[in-house]
Amino acid sequence: MEKSMTEEIPVQKKKKFNLKQWIFIGPHFIFFAVFIFFPMIYGFYASFTRWNLLSTPQWVGLQNYQTILGDPSSSFYRQFRTGLFNTLVFVAGTVPLQVIIPLILAIMLQHKGVRFKGLFQAIFYIPGLISVSAAAIVWLLIFNPRLGPVNNLLGSEVTWVVNQPYAWIVIFMMTLWGAIGGNLIIYRSAMSGISRDLYEAAELDGASGTVKFFKITLPMIKFPLLYTIVMSTAGAFNVFAQPLMVTQGGPEQTTHVLMMYIRTLAFGQGQSVAGMAAAMSILLGLVIVVIAAFQFKIMYSNAK
Amino acid sequence: MNIQKKMLLSAATLSLGVLAGCGNSNEIVMWTPLTGEDGQIMDQMVEDYNDTDPEFPVSHVITPDLYTQIYTVMNTGEGTPDLAMIHADRVEGFVRFDMVKPFDDLMSTHTTLNQNNYIDQAWTAGEVDGSQYTIPLDVHSNVLYYNQDLMAQYDIDHFLDDDVLTFDEIMSLEGQLEDGHYAINNALMSWVLLAQVVNLGGDISDDAGNPTIDTPEMAEAMEALVAVEEAGLMTPQGEDGFAMFQGQTVIFSSDGTWSSLAHDMVDDLNYGITNIYSFDSDTWHNRGSSHLFSMLVSEDRTEEKEEGIGEFLEWIYENSITWADAGQIPASREVYESPEFEDYQQSFFTQTEEQRDSLLIFDYEYYGYVEAAINLVILDMLYGNISIEDGLAAAQQEVEDLVAQGHGADIEIDLDDFEVEDAE
Amino acid sequence: MERNKTFIITKWVSYVLLTITAIIWVFPAIYALTTSFKTQSDVIQTGFRLLPASWVMDNYARVLSNTSSAPIVRWFLNSVLISTSHTILMVIVVSLAAFGYARLDFKYRDTMFFVILAISMFPAVVNIIPNYMIVHRLGWVNTPLAVIVPGIAAVGNVFLVRQFMTGLPKSYDESARMDGASDFTIYLKIIVPLIKPVLIVTSIFSFTGSWNDFLWPTIVLNDVRQLTITAGMLLLQDIYGNYMMIGQLMASAFLAMIPTTLLFIFAQKYFIESLNLNTGLKG
Repeated sequence: MEKSMTEEIPVQKKKKFNLKQWIFIGPHFIFFAVFIFFPMIYGFYASFTRWNLLSTPQWVGLQNYQTILGDPSSSFYRQFRTGLFNTLVFVAGTVPLQVIIPLILAIMLQHKGVRFKGLFQAIFYIPGLISVSAAAIVWLLIFNPRLGPVNNLLGSEVTWVVNQPYAWIVIFMMTLWGAIGGNLIIYRSAMSGISRDLYEAAELDGASGTVKFFKITLPMIKFPLLYTIVMSTAGAFNVFAQPLMVTQGGPEQTTHVLMMYIRTLAFGQGQSVAGMAAAMSILLGLVIVVIAAFQFKIMYSNAK
Repeated sequence: MNIQKKMLLSAATLSLGVLAGCGNSNEIVMWTPLTGEDGQIMDQMVEDYNDTDPEFPVSHVITPDLYTQIYTVMNTGEGTPDLAMIHADRVEGFVRFDMVKPFDDLMSTHTTLNQNNYIDQAWTAGEVDGSQYTIPLDVHSNVLYYNQDLMAQYDIDHFLDDDVLTFDEIMSLEGQLEDGHYAINNALMSWVLLAQVVNLGGDISDDAGNPTIDTPEMAEAMEALVAVEEAGLMTPQGEDGFAMFQGQTVIFSSDGTWSSLAHDMVDDLNYGITNIYSFDSDTWHNRGSSHLFSMLVSEDRTEEKEEGIGEFLEWIYENSITWADAGQIPASREVYESPEFEDYQQSFFTQTEEQRDSLLIFDYEYYGYVEAAINLVILDMLYGNISIEDGLAAAQQEVEDLVAQGHGADIEIDLDDFEVEDAE
Repeated sequence: MERNKTFIITKWVSYVLLTITAIIWVFPAIYALTTSFKTQSDVIQTGFRLLPASWVMDNYARVLSNTSSAPIVRWFLNSVLISTSHTILMVIVVSLAAFGYARLDFKYRDTMFFVILAISMFPAVVNIIPNYMIVHRLGWVNTPLAVIVPGIAAVGNVFLVRQFMTGLPKSYDESARMDGASDFTIYLKIIVPLIKPVLIVTSIFSFTGSWNDFLWPTIVLNDVRQLTITAGMLLLQDIYGNYMMIGQLMASAFLAMIPTTLLFIFAQKYFIESLNLNTGLKG
């Protein structure tokens, strides 16, 4: 996928049995193997079992997957479909804005004439430090028909959290509020790496702001940009706290995202149905990885 | 790679020596799910007990995700607490998987710990196949708060002469209320619904242990609630019914006993508590649950320590009046019959035997599934987004599917038996 | 002249847009803050008012008095130790790994990185049980290591730093190599200084993440004395909002974020300095 970079290093062509890279990647690799890979293998194994987290997992082969994917009469089949669809709505509704809003803000903060950069940056970053439960209550108050500023000051009659598409709008707003700060400071540090000379040279050629953005800024920050796109997407697929606290999945389970179903199965009220939860996690993981692979492919083919 | 690993491990061992190493073997480690106010009150009780200088002092550990944490330690068999506080609907499942040890031996040496001394429903929730697996701390129940000023305004004080508000009385308010006022709110709706089902003679499971949600009783109970909503007497969907009660725009609030703590913080809110509404004033129930002390199976717990646990539970029996501060009903007879407890509002539920009998604790093994499945559809049914028929059918199916997953363990046991017979 | 005009227009457009966004962003935070000074009666009063009818400190007083019996100083020190060690370890391990995956040439380098990234993307819901078993086997339960170490395994940070390193021109390493510099010298003397801003960003993310985490700490630290401040405070607060004391919830949220906010403001100073120092690279 990333041939363009690797091929540029002609040094040490002879790849004999070489350990020097392990000095660098080794420590992380050990942590990865112990705390992510082994547990993951266990989770993968669990997806082929019935397991209540207490007794020994009982092997059922592909049965969980068959139920989730191929048995329309099962409620697990329904949960997976509803949950995945709702999760996709959340991804589509938040990820583009999670990238574009901080990108625009970062460009404006790069402007040489703009002052108070630190203040602006802090205002955008700090909401991410507020706990999700407190954030949910504030946003619920803001959109509360009786108590909140939106209905009282704007004269709106909408009961936000129980009607679509308003329920999604509240969830999107609350998510973006907490999420853009992180991407913003990543873009800021990426843009700081771009030489002023490049812009000055372009300006001498009479390039407009738009041209400079697409010809200089965007190509120069494409690697960090890819990071934020891939990780924001993966994060959005894992969402559960915001819908859980704002709408409890309603109305009519239209905001009931897949991770909420998975967590309820594994750690909800009553005995755990961890095997089914594990199978749904694996399927969700496959979706995330396939989409991430697409994002890599598109970004790198456009970069040529 | 090996060097790295060794370095890591030796660093680990080194830090271990420095950092670990507290933990008193004479200590009774008790896990509870009591975050917030509850936890502080329990801390206070434990401190008071330790001040009596017992041989086995208690160490109270609050675990916000108690059941997750129980799963993790039970998987390693180490770090199991000596005492764990669980809910009534967990007992059967825990017994089935041999996770809890019965109190039968301890009860013979600590005779205070017996059925006659506790609220019956809380006690029997811990009884499985003739053995007693838990000792109750409390009952925490669904309760109907009423706004005294609003009742006076609408001249409906007589509704509560018999201590039971009926659906007919609620419906009689149709068209009588000011704009923006409502009769009841939708807090803890699933608990209200379950009480109505029992009022109508139904239940959530049949004798064979199968879940029964999609039943005529459940539908009838739900229809009654929908009728209230359609008459414009229920707080609207998406409104915070809890805040509306505190804001004095709704007369009745079906909530938990513990909410009194927050209600007390509102200055001019004059409220009282009574039973959850019902179809008629002869039959009524208040759905509740119970916090129960249990001993998870552990090899580390010595017999002497178990005696220490017995001491502690006897002390709790005598001194759990403090627990009433959390808005809960202590299960101990000595406490709920004491004059001090009469000062607490929730003593309403223990005044008479009839009142005590109204406390409804489900101990169905799959209760957790039932409540979660109902919660998923109840507001949509209540506000007409989906039909009662569809909602109950979906909930029924969901619980059946979940129960079928749980029966995996049975299949395994059956197969084992079969093989043994074959071998013979 | 033309350039100056554009400069001024874009400057003011930027100011307007930044200000509008900042107002939208700061409003909920201000609302939360003023709510933390309201009484319960005030919060549930019909109609919207930003400011309290009368300012009360009760919510803060109650939150703080709730913690009077808790070993709060001990928790704070635990957290400082845990989050600092975690962050230092993270930055070292991550920058080394990112250097390996971005700037060394070895067989299957990219494939290997994408595979570990892909694996780390699978939701790890039920993995909490095997994770606990591993930490238990290592003997780390109830020790700070149980919360310092496992998070280092995350691949996201490696990915972030790797992306920044990948963007640096290869000529930097090559000329250094010709001068006989070792890989480690290139890493330490050339690459790390160039990506200092993103290492600061990674540190902020790691520290905040570690400081705010509460589920995992409560599972592996069931000895009250070993808890982190966030986990400990949350136990004492009404984390699930059962009691709906809204003012108190806001007060505890603000108390909880004081350390991370201070850290951010402190780190931001260095962050912005390092941005300005960075003279930039020529493509």
